[in-house]
Amino acid sequence: MFQFLIRRAGLALLVALTVSLVCFLLVNLSTDVATAMAGEGATAEAIDTIRKQYGLDRPLAVQYVEWLGRALRGDFGDSLYFRTSVSALVAERMPVTLALGAAAILFALVLSVPLGVVAALRPGSWIDRLTLTIAVVGQAMPSFWFALLLMFFFGVTLGLLPISGSDTWLHFVLPAIALGYYATPAIMRLTRSGMLEVLGSDYIRTARAKGLRAPSVLFKHALRNALAPVVALAAVQLGFMLGGSVVIETVFALHGLGYLAWESIAHNDFPVVQAIVLLISLFYIVLTLLADLANAWLDPRIRIA
Amino acid sequence: MAAVSSEIQVLHVPTPGEQLRRRAFEHTGVTLGAGVLLAILVLALAAPLLAPYDPYAQDLSRRLIPPIWHDTGTWTHPLGTDMLGRDYLSRLIYGSRISLLIGFSVMLISGLIGSLLGISAGYFGGRVDLFVTYLTTVRLSMPVILVALTTVALIGSSLLVVILVLGLLKWDRFAVVLRSATQQVRNLDYVTAARAIGCPAWRIVLGEVFPNVANHLIVVATLEMGSAILLEAALSFLGLGVQPPAPSWGLMISEAKGYMFFSPWLIALPGAALFALVLCINMLGDGVRDVTSPEGRNG
Amino acid sequence: MKTTAASLAALAFALSFGTAMPAHAGKKDNSIRLAANQVPESLDAYFNNVRIGVILAHHIWDHLVSRDPKTNEYKPSLATAWRWVDNQTLEFDLRKGVRFHNGEPFDADDVVYTLNFVSKPENKSTTQQNVNWIAEAVKVDAYKVRIKTKKPFPAALEYLAGPVVIYPNEYYAKVGPKGMSEKPVGSGPYKVVEHQPGRLIRLQRNAEFFKESPRTQPSVERLELRLIPDQNTQMAELMAGGLDWIYNVAPDQARQMKAVPSLEVTSGETMRIVWLTMATRDGSPVPQFKDIRVRKAINHAIDRQAMLKTVVGDTARVLHTQCFPGQFGCTDQGAARYEYNPAKAKALLAEAGYPNGFEVDLYAYRERPQTEAMIGYLRAVGIRANLRFMQYAAMRDALREGKAGFAHQTWGSFSVNDLSASTPVYFKFEADDVTRDQKVRELLDAGDNSVNPSVRQVAYRNALVQIAEQAYTVPLYSLPVYYAYTKDLRFTPYPDEIPRFWEVRWK
Repeated sequence: MFQFLIRRAGLALLVALTVSLVCFLLVNLSTDVATAMAGEGATAEAIDTIRKQYGLDRPLAVQYVEWLGRALRGDFGDSLYFRTSVSALVAERMPVTLALGAAAILFALVLSVPLGVVAALRPGSWIDRLTLTIAVVGQAMPSFWFALLLMFFFGVTLGLLPISGSDTWLHFVLPAIALGYYATPAIMRLTRSGMLEVLGSDYIRTARAKGLRAPSVLFKHALRNALAPVVALAAVQLGFMLGGSVVIETVFALHGLGYLAWESIAHNDFPVVQAIVLLISLFYIVLTLLADLANAWLDPRIRIA
Repeated sequence: MAAVSSEIQVLHVPTPGEQLRRRAFEHTGVTLGAGVLLAILVLALAAPLLAPYDPYAQDLSRRLIPPIWHDTGTWTHPLGTDMLGRDYLSRLIYGSRISLLIGFSVMLISGLIGSLLGISAGYFGGRVDLFVTYLTTVRLSMPVILVALTTVALIGSSLLVVILVLGLLKWDRFAVVLRSATQQVRNLDYVTAARAIGCPAWRIVLGEVFPNVANHLIVVATLEMGSAILLEAALSFLGLGVQPPAPSWGLMISEAKGYMFFSPWLIALPGAALFALVLCINMLGDGVRDVTSPEGRNG
Repeated sequence: MKTTAASLAALAFALSFGTAMPAHAGKKDNSIRLAANQVPESLDAYFNNVRIGVILAHHIWDHLVSRDPKTNEYKPSLATAWRWVDNQTLEFDLRKGVRFHNGEPFDADDVVYTLNFVSKPENKSTTQQNVNWIAEAVKVDAYKVRIKTKKPFPAALEYLAGPVVIYPNEYYAKVGPKGMSEKPVGSGPYKVVEHQPGRLIRLQRNAEFFKESPRTQPSVERLELRLIPDQNTQMAELMAGGLDWIYNVAPDQARQMKAVPSLEVTSGETMRIVWLTMATRDGSPVPQFKDIRVRKAINHAIDRQAMLKTVVGDTARVLHTQCFPGQFGCTDQGAARYEYNPAKAKALLAEAGYPNGFEVDLYAYRERPQTEAMIGYLRAVGIRANLRFMQYAAMRDALREGKAGFAHQTWGSFSVNDLSASTPVYFKFEADDVTRDQKVRELLDAGDNSVNPSVRQVAYRNALVQIAEQAYTVPLYSLPVYYAYTKDLRFTPYPDEIPRFWEVRWK
């Protein structure tokens, strides 16, 4: 187990380093940072001064190491557009995206796990077909279209839910549905197949043969085993959602990381973009690391593999 | 009569290939998905013949005409006109070209990269496998839409750029699935045998491994094609996808979004077209999975 | 179509009123919730150049003089009287007893510090053209200042009534532009109580707003401005009662929202002019524009009248010269006119050596449907324009750096009612001049720096005639703005594109 942990954490670290390098190069190779920092109508001398002042005339490798060093201490420099520290800006927006991601994954789990379980209990039934339909339809709709439909129906026509902003938890309901819906097909499928596999396994049949009551078999034994991979998948999906919330945040005017990233891209405010991409990647890396470790804890076979 | 024919069927033992074809044709998902996809493909290829108007021709005096099923619809423009008075039917027909082009090209690029990585990782194992796993993890941890947005914003948006960026970003699922599929095939008896008699690796991969993982490839390819088309729509929504006046369905949806409350058909029509296309591609993919491995439906 | 729209909206409303959600809660607590689709990068009025920043500045700060939006007369504001001492010196008597939001009393030091700080190039104010005419401000006594201009600058009062606002000197010296953005302090009818950058700004009525101000005393207690990027979301919020007031509604949507019974839609022409920029200076990325026939062809290709009736809105007017007709010095007398004539456009292109047209990138940053209509017109004469849609700052920089050569431009003149605030910005060899015609520059200089109104008018007219003769731009139209708000609000729009919330009342 210890060896597995070390190896897995080592990979995560290596991946994190590579991602930081990609983030750095993505911007530094495609724009002239000094010109962008100098701002509009700056003279050639002004640009040169900035280039020297910020050490932008040194080799890229040196600059990268320095950038990484500062990033590790949480210092991503100043936003070129908002003229405040990137870290402060990102820290201010992060809670919104985290809350949205958590609410969305919660919605996805609440919708898809029960449906997946029922579908596995009655394969081929109408409810099984319904889950399949939800899964297929969910993957075929443009997310912003779905979001606008939700907003129009629940926000305007029924007037039940707030439309935009992030003041109360009610404000997160519609965005969470719009974002979480896209994670349901995968979770539903995995729950269903996991349940089918567990229900067909020897120990469940033994438990049944021993005369244990159906609900007890279902919840105590089958579900617990079937859900382990689902938890891992949910962690991965949460990672995807944090990175994919741009569209939903724009539609519902939620001022989280996704919207900030889009805004910063539009303003050529690359220190912010770098920080956000790196941060979201790190979230994903940590989430998958935790999921893998949890899985290994639950299923000893993985540790050896 | 009926009894005789059924007896004959029992006597005739179908080959695996025949079984596969029969299962495919009996599977509603496959037939429906393939049928609609084919129809859209024909629409795209024959666009100049089918479209009643030039999709770019604008006429500000004939704008926002509703489709024929509205009270004020007219047969001159069966699906109405958009906010610039362009014929909506013609734009939808031409739009199928761009959506399909994006779907296919992204799938091809990402499929090529992903299969190459996945199959070599699965076949060679060891360090190659480690390296591919590492690459895949790096790719997976970077948010697709943000990286795509940043790149497109930095180098400027065009159809080619969108296709290349998405193609270079979306190979991860190919790599993951083909890696594990190849690992299974690699240990099959005849592959081991071929290796033992010293067959060159490229011949084993092409001759033995590839045909055995092709069904997985098709499933992933359809899913990725659908998701590429939706991603383009999302990029267009954020203003960084295909640029006007090209009639891409994703762009048409995003242009019509301002009209969704009062002229809803403008967003509903391209939305429905996009939905139908992605739905049938996904149904085809799911169907292929069912047909090739009937026991693992939904698995 | 009309019937569908109306019935759909009616349905939406019948349903939304049937629920418990209170519509337009703003009326109850005497507040207004409004939305914008962009927010200023900095609240410091000298460090942003977006419209919403100009609007906010008029609420937070005060001016030395105030221009009456109806009569265009200058009235005493922070200054009680003023006089030209000589060609280049303006003297102001300042009002006593005015206090800033933080309690700091207003006097000559505030005026001197503010003007000297923002007019120094090294302090890098974003809005150079609003302040670079100031040579220096000098304190005469505690309530008397003199402003010296670099050259004779007759439009000075117009600037002092618009973009040039007065800051409290002690506070500004302490916190600088960054602090002024984080926590703005002024003496205007509203004070900022909360500022979440790029997100939300809350303003509170200034109860101590000086009674002698020519502006109406504010009535609405609180203003809440939220950034809502998507126009649909804004409309949905307005219809559901989550917002009370939105602006910059697209004309098509505005027309349709008129059918909604609980809403009021008003529109008016603004000082904002719209045109197509064609870079002709050396190194232009579109070398075709060097040929006057190409520029004339583009002028002939676009049907401005048809655009006005449809995608623009008919409260605006077609322009033939590069300025807003209400501005002092603006005229289209004697200037060449290019009527809509696609056949002539094609012929001109063929003559210039482009019988099959050419391909070009068209940059744009707002009113995208209008850009797309223009792309359609250009296509009809053979010019295939690819849209490059981006944020204003990005487009402005691309033009300045010579990466962009063709742009759908707009300019609101900072609501300054004098030609010096518009045409010279794009034709006096400064950052935004992509033409660089020496003759135009000299004529504009003569107009900007003379104190004789008729000399100014003649010089400006000659400059405008030369620009039109050379077809350096495609002047299109003035831009109307559409406001949509709840029927219970009493709101009046003005052509200077500044909504005045201190005048707004709940019915």
